[in-house]
Order: sequence, then C-alpha cells, then structure tokens
Amino acid sequence: MADAAVHTHDDHAKKSFFTRWFMSTNHKDIGILYLFTAATLGFVSVVFTVYMRMELMNPGVQYFCAEGARFIADASRECTPNGHFWNVIITGHGILMMFFVVIPALFGGFGNYFMPLMIGAPDMAFPRMNNLSYWMYVAGSSLAVISLLTPGGDGQLGSGVGWVLYAPLSVREGGMSMDFAIFAVHLSGASSILGAINMITTFLNMRAPGMTLHKTPLFPWSIFVTAFLILLSLPVLAGAITMLLTDRNFGTTFFDPNGGGDPILYQHLLWFFGHPEVYMIIVPGFGIISHVISTFSKKPIFGYLPMVYAMVAIGALGFVVWAHHMYTVGMSLTQQSYFMLATMVIAVPTGIKIFSWIATMWGGSIELKTPMLFAFGFLFLFTVGGVTGIVLSQAPIDRIYHDTYYVVAHFHYVMSLGAVFCIFAGIYYWIGKMSGRQYPEWAGKLHFFTFFIGANLTFFPQHFLGRQGMPRRYIDYPVEFAYWNHLSSIGAFISFASFVFFIGIVFYTLKFGKRVTENSYWGEYADSLEWTVSSPPPEHTFETLPTPDMWDKAHH
Amino acid sequence: MTNAALGAARPEGVPLASVILRPSRSLPRRGFAWLLLITWALLLLPLIPLLGTAALWVMLPFLLAVLLALWLSFERSYRDGELCEELILWPEMIHVHRHNPRAAAQSWQASPYWTRLKLTPEGGPVENYLTLRGNGREIELGAFLSPEERADLYDRLGDELARARAPVHPAPQ
Repeated sequence: MADAAVHTHDDHAKKSFFTRWFMSTNHKDIGILYLFTAATLGFVSVVFTVYMRMELMNPGVQYFCAEGARFIADASRECTPNGHFWNVIITGHGILMMFFVVIPALFGGFGNYFMPLMIGAPDMAFPRMNNLSYWMYVAGSSLAVISLLTPGGDGQLGSGVGWVLYAPLSVREGGMSMDFAIFAVHLSGASSILGAINMITTFLNMRAPGMTLHKTPLFPWSIFVTAFLILLSLPVLAGAITMLLTDRNFGTTFFDPNGGGDPILYQHLLWFFGHPEVYMIIVPGFGIISHVISTFSKKPIFGYLPMVYAMVAIGALGFVVWAHHMYTVGMSLTQQSYFMLATMVIAVPTGIKIFSWIATMWGGSIELKTPMLFAFGFLFLFTVGGVTGIVLSQAPIDRIYHDTYYVVAHFHYVMSLGAVFCIFAGIYYWIGKMSGRQYPEWAGKLHFFTFFIGANLTFFPQHFLGRQGMPRRYIDYPVEFAYWNHLSSIGAFISFASFVFFIGIVFYTLKFGKRVTENSYWGEYADSLEWTVSSPPPEHTFETLPTPDMWDKAHH
Repeated sequence: MTNAALGAARPEGVPLASVILRPSRSLPRRGFAWLLLITWALLLLPLIPLLGTAALWVMLPFLLAVLLALWLSFERSYRDGELCEELILWPEMIHVHRHNPRAAAQSWQASPYWTRLKLTPEGGPVENYLTLRGNGREIELGAFLSPEERADLYDRLGDELARARAPVHPAPQ
C-alpha cells in the first residue's frame, strides 16, 4: 500500500505549466483544452464564412479573384472569379466545423469536464488515453489547416471538394492537399474513437455506488449515446476514406466504374457515418439543455425515462436513415420510400423531447438568465430547423431542394442555431463552475439578443433562396437572387460582431469576473454532482466516492 | 495472496479479524457481455452489404479494431478494479496486503501491541485519512473507500486492536 502521505494534498509538487497542460491526465484540464482549441478553430471557420458572405453579398465576384484574393472590393481592377479558391474555403469551413469544432467542444470539452463529475467518478477510466485523444485531435486539425495551404487542385493550393469528399472528384483532385485532408480525418476519427471508448467505459463501469443507469443524470446519458454513435460510425468513415486514399495513390478502383467500382458506394459509406455524425453534434446539446431548463424552471425534468430512451431511440434510428442525403443519385423507388419513412420516424422521439422540455417549464418558476435564454432559443429554433428537415425528408420535394440553399438553411438552423446555442448555454451555465468567476449578466443577454437576431437574419432568407432555386457551393449567382443574399450577409456580419463580443465576455470573465462563492450558485435546483464541488473544483474530485444522499435527491 | 506473502511467517491459529477492501465497478460482467453483443450486431450493419466485394476487406479491419479496443478497455478497467487491500489480525501480528493489478504487491506487518491506528479527519489527502503506524513505517488504508466507510473501519479496527493487545486472562472460575 502506498506509504502514508500525512502532509496535505497541496504538498505534491506543483506541476509546471508544461506538465499540467501538455501532459495532462486530468479530465477537467483536458476538457478546458478541448474547449479552447475548438473555440480557436471555430473562430477560423467563422472568419471563412464572413469572407464567403462578403462575396455573396452582391452579385458578381469582388473578392475571390484569380489575380489575388481581396479584402476590399476594387471595381477599377479586374477580378476574374477564382472558383477553386471558393471551393477550398467552403470545404475548409465544412471540414473544420463538422470534425474539429462542434463535437470537440460538446463531447470533448463539456463531456470530459462534467460527465465524470456528474457520475461521481474521480476521473475518466483511462486518463492518459484521454490526453492522447486530445493531442491527436490537435494533430488532425493541424493537418486540416496544412491541407488548405498545400498544393492541391487546379494548380492552386487546397482541395475544393466539399466537406463530404465525394468520389470521383476527390479521387481526381490534384496535388497532395487532398491526402492531407484524408489523414486529418483519419487522425480526428481515431481520436474520437479512443475518446468514445473512454467515455463508454467510464459511464458504464465507474458510476458511484448506488447510481444505477436509471438514476444517472441526463447529460452523462447524452454523452454515452453520443459515444456509442461515434464508436459505430467512425470505423465506417475510416474505411471509406482509406478507400479514397488507395484509389488516389495505389491504383485501386473502389469508386471507379472502369475498374468495377461505384462512386455511389462512397456516398453510402460516407453518409452511413454522416448521418449519425449530425446526431453526435446535437445529442450532447440535448443533455445540456435538459440540465439548464430544469435548473431555471426550478423543476426536475419532465419524464426522465422517456427522455433517456428518446435519446437512445434517436441514436439508434440515426443509423438507418442515411440515404435521405442521396435521394437524387438514382436509387430505386423502394429504396427511396424506405429511407423516407424511416427518416420521418425520427421526428417522434425528437418530438417527445421537445414536448418534455416544454412540460418541464410548464408550472415552473422561470428565471430568464442567459443560459435559459439560449435554451429557449434552442427550443424554438431547433424545432424550426427540424420541420424543414421533415420537408426535405420527402423524396419528391428533395428532388427539387437537393443541393439548393433550402438544405443549407435547414442544417444551419439545426446546427448553427441548435448546437451552437447549446454550446453557449453550456458556457454561460458552467463558466462560473469551471473558473470560479461569473460573467456579467447584462453582457450575456446582449450577446444572446445580437446573436439571435444575426443568426436568424443570416439563415431565414436562405429558405427563400432555396425555394427560388439558388444552388449551393457556388461562388456567384444570377442577379435575381441578390436581395435575400444581401440581407443574409448583413445577418452574418451582425452574428460575427456578436461572436467577437462574446470572446470579449469570456476574457473579461476569466480575468475580472466577479468571484463565485457558493458551490451551487444557480440555486438548489441545480442538483447534479458538479454543483457539490467548489468553483473551480479542486484538481482531484471524488477521490472519495460520493454517497447517494449527495445526488439522489428524494425531495424531487 | 496473504499466504504467498507471509509463507512460513503466517501465525498459527484463527485470525481475530479479517477485512477485504476493494474499489467499486458499476457494470456487472453480464452487462459487459450484452454491451459487446449489441456492439457487434450493430457493426454488422455496414458490413453485410459489402459481403462479396473488395471493399469488405478495407472495412473489416476497422470494425474489428473497434470491437477489440472496446473489449480490451473494459478488461483493463476490470483489472484496475482488482485493486484490493486485505487486512488480517492475529493476536501476535497484524498484516496488510495490497494487491496491485499491474504492479508488485505490497505487504506490511507489525505487532498489534505497538501498532498505532490514526484517523485524520481534515488535512490529509482525503477526508478521514486512515493510517496504521508500525514496524518503522506508516501506511494508508482504504484510500478508495468513502469517508464514512473509513470512519467505520477506524472504529472496528480500534476495537479489534484493543482486543489483540489485551493480556490473556484465564476464564473466570
């Protein structure tokens, strides 16, 4: 047995900066690393979108010029449209957001920090592998950025293939940029799989004594479902992009009809991963929203078990609907009908969750603090995005809407206005707990209102553009589409301003924010285990396992 | 394991007390079997359509690797949970043996008469830090238990040690 250490815990040698942040085995520190890295890459991706919306603000090409990209339009000089550069930027935006921003923030960031705390575990099951996951994520994102700057297609830098990397375009894209992108996704996939294994083992095997699965809070459940989605879908993506790699470099013909292959096979494999991917993005958000709504309605969540099994159902159903992304590739009527019906079924468990959140607020004592504002916003806007998803699930309608701005509007509503609202709700809810300092309430509310207005102004008009037939992934458009594009761009600039303001809020809070004194500063209805530890929590939490009286609140 | 540690030095006679302490693991083995079964079944979904194609051979290693990684990780987690401390008390010896899953076992024995049991409520690495001092060393006990369990253990052990120290009296006539 370890020789007695009678001195206090602070006495173990203070870790150097390098040891603490580069060789971390602490789930709270690793969670913070994920949050900051995801935020940085998110900022990069948002800058790309601002640049794109600058270009789309007016018909014609003013910024993405072959003569040299501009930041200030100059009508006196000629601007030959550089379609490849445009394709690279939209690809970069998609790859960064889909692989390196939202999931690392929600699953890697909040998941690592709060899941072990909420189940009363002292750390993750495999703390060193946790660190490995984080650094593989950093390596993968570095490769993705490098890919943008490496010789690629069209004799220029970067790959312009879309984040989905469809064959045969991705197979034929010149240069090595595409191969860097493939390796970036490989690394990020491996990082995610290891992280998912860590989360599953922790959730199943390290809950505090007495905490049965049906007593575990909703956020850990959401992380468990997400981890399972990752575990089952990432290997398929790995297989698909490995086949891309061999088709590109080793003469295989998995996706080449001339060699007996089929480009549609790539799409099936990609979307078998791609659809669960979007549920991986939103399900941790569902968990956060449950906690936030319960806290600020001063009521326990309505219908705990249906909420758990709705998440499980959404996860399971998410695996059997992938080809609703492929209605226009030439599948048979039977195939399309099946996918259409299966997709419509997912609306049921999702609806159960939305109604349960509303039922939670019904009869509660609602306090409109910033996290609750974001939760309200999420509830409404995710529903709007969800119903346009139902519209798109109808194969004959998708025949017209596929690859138009209607699709772009749909997924930005569920992701930008859904998942991102969940991230902000989580940040405002937990920043006091993580840092020991609280944000200024007026500033949080200002951020919410400007972002709400900006994001809606950006994406709502895109429904009209889609219905009018504007295709996606194009650098320019006919002049008839100018009005809504102009409005959408103004919305984008307002959103960007709100994001910069938010960054200011975070820095102010971390440096000068009012210190938090209580463990549970949102009141007694914030009752999961993270609210029993100090703000910020000590380096080691729950070395002594919590007892049921700490988390099994009988008075609820 | 105590037999292996003590060998010939093991005292004769029935111990006065013996305690085994181990950390908690919340998934029973049956649950683990179900987990692997469900995972394997779901991993078959993308594999079956590829049967008979060359693509199968690219997909299969990744799927198998994930299944293997899941199995290995739980086995490792259960092994970590095998951490176990055994305490046996005879009148002439107190022996604590700690079985570490991946490191050498640790062992300590002392005379109960001179052994001092100490509970440090605050200021130790954990609340209610429990230590035994004897034979030139001080060792910690039950670091992975809850504070209430350690306080309980302190009371029980205190009683048992007192019994072990008491001089033997002939039974009253």
